[in-house]
Amino acid sequence: MGEMLEWLQFVLAPQVINGASIGVAVVLMALGLTIIFGLLDVINMAHGEFYAIGAYAAVALLGVGLPFWWALGLTPLLMAVVGYATERTLIQRVFHSKERHTLTLLLTFGLAIIMEDALKIVFGANPLRLEAPISGASEVFGLFFPNYRLFVMALGSGVIAAVWLVVFRTRLGAMVRAAAYDRHMAASLGVPVAVVYAGTFAFGVALAGLAGVLLAPIYSVFPTMGRDFVLIAFSVVIIGGLGSIKGAVIAGLLLTQVQSISSLYISPVWSDPLLFAIMVLVLMWRPQGLFGRLGHA
Amino acid sequence: MKTFIRTAIVAASAAPLLALAQAGPIRIGVVTPLSGTYAGIGQQVKWGLDLAVTQINAAGGIAGRKLELLYEDEEANPAVATQKAEKLFQVNKVDFLTGTVNSGSTLAVGQVAERNAKLIATTVSFSDAITAEKCSPNVFRVNARAGMQSAALAEWLAKEKPQANVFYLGPDYEMGRSTVAAFKSAAEAKGSKTVGEVYAPLDNKDYSPFFGQVRSAKPAVIYTSVAGNDTVRLFNQMAEFGLARNVQVVGASGTVTSQNLAAIGKAADGFVTGVGYAANIDSAENKKFVAEFVAANKAKPDLYGADSYGVLFFYKAAVEKARSTETDKVREAMRGLQWSTPQGVKTLRAGDHQAMQDMYAVRVKGGEFEIVGKVAAAQAIGPDTCTKF
Repeated sequence: MGEMLEWLQFVLAPQVINGASIGVAVVLMALGLTIIFGLLDVINMAHGEFYAIGAYAAVALLGVGLPFWWALGLTPLLMAVVGYATERTLIQRVFHSKERHTLTLLLTFGLAIIMEDALKIVFGANPLRLEAPISGASEVFGLFFPNYRLFVMALGSGVIAAVWLVVFRTRLGAMVRAAAYDRHMAASLGVPVAVVYAGTFAFGVALAGLAGVLLAPIYSVFPTMGRDFVLIAFSVVIIGGLGSIKGAVIAGLLLTQVQSISSLYISPVWSDPLLFAIMVLVLMWRPQGLFGRLGHA
Repeated sequence: MKTFIRTAIVAASAAPLLALAQAGPIRIGVVTPLSGTYAGIGQQVKWGLDLAVTQINAAGGIAGRKLELLYEDEEANPAVATQKAEKLFQVNKVDFLTGTVNSGSTLAVGQVAERNAKLIATTVSFSDAITAEKCSPNVFRVNARAGMQSAALAEWLAKEKPQANVFYLGPDYEMGRSTVAAFKSAAEAKGSKTVGEVYAPLDNKDYSPFFGQVRSAKPAVIYTSVAGNDTVRLFNQMAEFGLARNVQVVGASGTVTSQNLAAIGKAADGFVTGVGYAANIDSAENKKFVAEFVAANKAKPDLYGADSYGVLFFYKAAVEKARSTETDKVREAMRGLQWSTPQGVKTLRAGDHQAMQDMYAVRVKGGEFEIVGKVAAAQAIGPDTCTKF
């Protein structure tokens, strides 16, 4: 019995907490992606690059001497502007054609390639290290945990809760959901659909940028970071259900726990392939994912 | 008439100079990582080689010919190293090549050297295979290999922590795996128990997923063969997660060096490894070398800098003994050659082209390496398992 408790406390608990700290950042990425798909019906292949640009923006801001907290606050705002501009200038052009899915997929894919190479040219190919703003570790029930990861978990959970609150409990959220459910009806009821669309895209991009800043001190910043991370985010979104916020949150947290606990028994390099295998199974068994779409949430 | 005589004299005296110039400088190609995770190692290699070239040329060069170094970036990638080596041999016509860091690169470039009938020497690569089952008649190694480092470290560990539980964590490629394998067999032969073995990708950013298995295993000793920036991340994360408390961390000699020691900081204290070189080896030769190195580069030499410095003197001794730069003659001269290095006199074993030298166990304390043990060359070298020549 004593040994079991010891295992729970010293082996399992740290894995669960570590998984949660990564899971929160994965959920932030997946939330942005699922909101953009659920509302705009746009598969944003450039989402990973927005995550990377967020991280690089933080590096740049820290480079001119701003403290980390300023970078944390400013980057999502900057990314929102970038997102808004992208939606208005690029996505809107192909949005109204019959081939919307294919065209937006190709468009955002091309955009991703351009952005990744631009980052490599501007910042160089070598990984950049970002110092964690909170150093040191806390001892909680005999477990040592870095303070910064605890902070990421706390802030991330707060942002996720705020998003849920806005979408489901405010008038703004109601407008967004209405525009997702039936664009024409919502427009005829006075919802400024074009602005709502661009704003929602901007918001999704801002979430990706925030995830980028938060994870930069843990994972380092390098040009292909977006490409690596967006695959995980897409898997979470697919498993949770394209367009479902509840799905993104539950799937994100659950899957990172699966990865974390499985790495006790198999080599952690298999945790990403494990995730993709689960995604394949879900697509075969229940293609719409675990939960519904945003408009119908 | 006077002008004619003067011109004739000048022309006459120019002739022997022209004849000498036709022998030309000896070109040595250097394929080493100048960017990427192992850039710090490449930097030490460059410093060592540059210092040696300056000194050799100032003393008249090799057999009257100056040395010229041509650098190319291998990016710690065997595919890139092969291309660069091919270019150096065929376009730049180098006589000799050195500088490869990544063990995979050394093996690949060795094959390029065989095709071009030229010799190469590595001053960094640890993988035992290079002078064992994958040995090549055109490849030489002047640095200590993984087996020799393991012998020194295993000796120290058996004395300090007899029959301890050891957990292994290494980077997932040739050097990482073979270094772990070499130490594991040396340590197990002396009574330790293996409680886990896990490999992370090279350039891995977050080691926390690997700590779960470490915690399950509850080892008394953790052995790691990561290097460069990977070590910085691993050690800092181990400190953050409180993993290094009550555990003796040991590792390969390339894991903590003067290049990454500053970035690791306090998290490196207590780390012990087996090396072929430490900047504070107490000999006149070494003290002179360290002073010259620091004066030239404002940084202390590590094992990569010291061994890279030594390789040009090795080549010089071989060419002077062979009285030629022809591949076959130099190869013959190199076999069994003894030459002087900051670490003392090294002997190149003819059977497998591996250098023999005394080995040390060193511990990191407050940003410095202190020597805590020593093993003689004959004991450390291990058997000759090369069967290709």
